[in-house]
Amino acid sequence: MPEGLKDMIEPTVSKVMRSPRSLDIEITARCNLRCRYCYFFNNPAVKYRDLPADEWLKFFGELGSLGVMSVILAGGEPFIREDLPVLLEGLVRNRMRFSLLSNGALIGDEIAAFLARTGRCEYVQVSVDGSGPEIHDSCRGKGSFEGALRGIRTLQRHRIGVAVRVTVHRHNIDDLENIAHFLLEELGLPCFSTNSAGYLGTCRLNADDVMLTIAERQSAMATLLRLAEKYPNRISASAGPLSEGRIWRLMEEARAQGKPAFPNRGRLTACGCPSSKISVRADGTIVPCNMLNHIELGRINHDSLAEVWQNGPALNQLRNRRTIPLADFEFCAGCAYMFYCTGSCPGLAYTLTGKVDHPSPDSCLQRFLEEGGTIP
Amino acid sequence: MNQTDKPIANPIVVLREEFDDWAVLFNPETAYAVGTNPVGVAVWKRMDGKKSLADIVSEIKNSFADTPDAAFKEIAAFANELAENGFVGLELKSK
Repeated sequence: MPEGLKDMIEPTVSKVMRSPRSLDIEITARCNLRCRYCYFFNNPAVKYRDLPADEWLKFFGELGSLGVMSVILAGGEPFIREDLPVLLEGLVRNRMRFSLLSNGALIGDEIAAFLARTGRCEYVQVSVDGSGPEIHDSCRGKGSFEGALRGIRTLQRHRIGVAVRVTVHRHNIDDLENIAHFLLEELGLPCFSTNSAGYLGTCRLNADDVMLTIAERQSAMATLLRLAEKYPNRISASAGPLSEGRIWRLMEEARAQGKPAFPNRGRLTACGCPSSKISVRADGTIVPCNMLNHIELGRINHDSLAEVWQNGPALNQLRNRRTIPLADFEFCAGCAYMFYCTGSCPGLAYTLTGKVDHPSPDSCLQRFLEEGGTIP
Repeated sequence: MNQTDKPIANPIVVLREEFDDWAVLFNPETAYAVGTNPVGVAVWKRMDGKKSLADIVSEIKNSFADTPDAAFKEIAAFANELAENGFVGLELKSK
């Protein structure tokens, strides 16, 4: 480690809040689609079964008493639950706001009007992966583009915030410009976000068909960086090619100029989610994150969420991950970017290496460069 | 409508005590949140529609050591901010 850098990457003390601020809840294990890169299905650790509404409502009461502020309902497809209004009323009654992640196809006027009436819906995120049906449906199934569009227009009609997510994969990298034009100019959305197909769930079974090669990743990165300049502040990303392009540019600049370590880098700090949020699977199992569905922390209505949150050994071990220096890993040996790196997503680290306490090879800049990639 | 000078907390607002008595007040209807220190938490908990701001300041002075002379002004400003954002109203006079 270069002189002086070691002290700069020493971990700071991190306190744990009394309760999580927000939760990601897989409210159902059912879905009307079978997308080829879905992270949710085909996870051997997960039991795909739904809980009855009364179990969720009891749990929402516990969340209310803990002062949880918001919940993201995902699945599966949350709008597949016929009792969704009852569940949402439970969230409202317990003083929470909510968002939903959806493929859009099951969103009709009745449920959209209900969402609007609650006054608590932050947004509904709808997945759109192509500027037309041919590309979108290639990974999501016939008719899914029309369904997504119908859902978006219904939400817009009811003045509900629509957050579109574009998952970049091998079949849409040449359509990204058209997608941006379609979403921002034709549909008139204020913004959209991007990520990419990750090696989780069903995607693992179709990796060769959907996951980006190094050259495709580089191309997607260049296109999205250019589009993000063309549409300032309207295209965001916390993972995937756009996010990597942005951070890798900063890392390369820092390396070239010999800049000091970035704050909270040089260790397995990753996204920091376990300090503010927690997740629940459709079967009621409490897990640290949807990407770490195999780490079972407890069960709703059987275990106290506050106890799991504050004292759960597996969760605290995950939080302590941020104290592990990247320099401890053979994987990072000789990496010039180590002091600017977070080690990336622990979920992908686990599916790719079998270890949670390991840097993720997926978002590794050094590996990307060694395999022939260049930063646009 | 006749109002008293007794602030009352909006029951929809969530008090999230997070670290060392520091807290977030969150209005789920507007998504507006404000962070507050332990004194702010103590003020919030006393806004029950029965105590005036002067009563609350007096109680705070008794509960916290070294309360500055400007406490009333600061607490009034805090109460105003809460009122402007729908966190607090004034209790109505009973007939």
